[in-house]
Amino acid sequence: MTAKTAEGKEIGKEERHYHPQATNCRDTKEKYGAQWKVANIRDTSIQPHQAKKETFEFDLPEGVRTADITVNLFYEAVNPDNKYPIHTITREVSLDKE
Amino acid sequence: MRIILLLLIATFFVMPLSNVEAQKAKTIDELAKMFDSSPCKSCHAEIYAQWEKSHHARPLMGVKGGLMLTPLALKKGEKGSTAFSEDDPKKMKIGNFPCFKCHLPQAVTHAEDSVAVELTEALLAKDSEKVAKLQITCIVCHNEKAIIHKRELGGPEKGVLYSVKEVTSHPDATFKTVKKSAIMNNSVYCGQCHGLGPNLEFDQAFQCANLYGSYLHNYVSGGGTQSCQECHMKKGDHLIAPNFNDEKQTSELLASALSLHVETLGYEWLRKANAYTPKVIVTTKITSNAGHRIPDG
Ligand code: HEC
Ligand code: HEC
Ligand code: HEC
Ligand code: HEC
Ligand code: HEC
Repeated sequence: MTAKTAEGKEIGKEERHYHPQATNCRDTKEKYGAQWKVANIRDTSIQPHQAKKETFEFDLPEGVRTADITVNLFYEAVNPDNKYPIHTITREVSLDKE
Repeated sequence: MRIILLLLIATFFVMPLSNVEAQKAKTIDELAKMFDSSPCKSCHAEIYAQWEKSHHARPLMGVKGGLMLTPLALKKGEKGSTAFSEDDPKKMKIGNFPCFKCHLPQAVTHAEDSVAVELTEALLAKDSEKVAKLQITCIVCHNEKAIIHKRELGGPEKGVLYSVKEVTSHPDATFKTVKKSAIMNNSVYCGQCHGLGPNLEFDQAFQCANLYGSYLHNYVSGGGTQSCQECHMKKGDHLIAPNFNDEKQTSELLASALSLHVETLGYEWLRKANAYTPKVIVTTKITSNAGHRIPDG
């Protein structure tokens, strides 16, 4: 999720990662690749019947009254460069009531 | 058409089947030949074309041609080598590739260790053409993996295919009957390879897919009733999507599986008298209609 001012200056950027995470059970480092993994120690993947809800909150810099929000959801397979876009949602948020 | 078919059957009938089947494959070509499903293509053209594009048709190089067994083939001690590696490719055995349990189950039951040596050398030489010959073919799924109640039902028979229904005279030269499998329309069938969690039966435990575990413990437990086949094989579709080499289709499938809902709020927060902080709040909600975690692995 990124938030930008009307001029395009980035004022906030946050990521959430959803995936099972495994170690080899001999150290505390997450492993990548079946030959190294032994068991999941944490699982943030998206499960059926369980919605993933997040709240992102940030302060606007001095003098800024509107922000353009872009929420991007995408899938990565094998390495972070191999991306499959899923959804992009944009919103303009203003502090001024018309 | 019918007459030609009958003639074909007669020609092949005199060839002793047992010769090929009785002994294990010594080379990659022999193993590929034993489970070759190219003869199925002429009659099951559509299913064959779907399968050819599927991950099951390229189980050792699933995503964008990557030779993912290479770390196991590296010499022991070399950077990137694994607990399954040996100091000499000639020492590699079928047991050095525990991945075969799911990625190439016919190697466990039907291949000599020489196949592991040949594969190791092919991986080191980046010989994708050779590695590509090793597939989860029609016969692996419709014979090898079709029975899990072996004590009650016996093992898969030679020259017999198994499916969701019986076909008493099946017009193939080698597989002359199709028997009804007890499990082919059941999720446990796919669960044989799609993983419950750590593979603890090996002397060096490891984990790959564990999606079947998620299906049982997060989908069924939450009241889900559909089978893998009902969601993934509608009308007998053997592409069994997703196909990660088809980026556009994968994106579309994921977009229909996962919904994203966004709400925003802009306001000025009052920390203490006259100290306003302009804030933006964004809430997101993702829901899934799949029958298991996404992503897995
Ligand atoms: C000469 C043509 C021919 C060849 C070759 C052939 N099949 Fe068939 N197959 C058929 C016909 C015809 C049926 C019967 C369809 C029916 O009755 O619904 C059938 C039925 C089947 C079924 C059962 C379908 C069901 O509804 O459950 C399976 C599984 C199957 N074939 C797999 C294979 C495989 C695997 C191969 C290759 C080893 C193969 N077939 C080769 C013609 C062929
Ligand atoms: C319990 C069965 C099972 C075992 C054992 C297994 N895998 Fe997998 N593997 C799968 C399945 C099923 C998938 C695809 C689905 C998924 O990831 O949920 C997969 C996917 C993969 C992928 C990602 C797809 C690709 O082709 O890039 C890699 C890499 C992989 N496995 C490597 C290995 C290696 C290396 C081993 C052995 C050390 C291994 N696997 C052992 C079942 C298994
Ligand atoms: C013989 C073992 C085996 C069986 C049985 C099996 N699969 Fe797979 N499946 C695999 C392997 C291995 C892969 C990954 C191959 C790769 O890309 O490296 C895979 C890949 C897939 C994929 C592609 C997505 C991905 O992450 O790679 C889907 C979807 C899938 N299988 C669904 C099913 C369904 C549904 C069934 C039951 C009808 C089934 N499989 C039965 C071994 C199996
Ligand atoms: C990953 C395992 C897998 C592979 C590989 C596979 N099948 Fe199947 N096949 C199945 C399952 C499971 C079903 C039953 C699906 C269902 O419940 O409807 C099936 C059903 C069928 C049917 C009957 C379904 C119909 O509606 O027409 C035919 C015919 C068939 N397969 C032929 C083939 C042929 C030919 C190949 C090779 C090109 C092949 N299969 C490869 C698992 C597999
Ligand atoms: C309720 C429907 C449903 C059921 C049941 C279901 N799936 Fe899926 N599956 C999906 C959807 C939707 C996706 C995501 C969209 C896509 O990529 O096709 C998916 C994705 C997958 C993937 C890719 C996972 C990844 O890491 O991205 C595999 C592999 C898979 N399913 C296998 C299976 C197997 C095996 C079963 C049974 C144990 C099963 N599915 C049961 C709907 C289902």
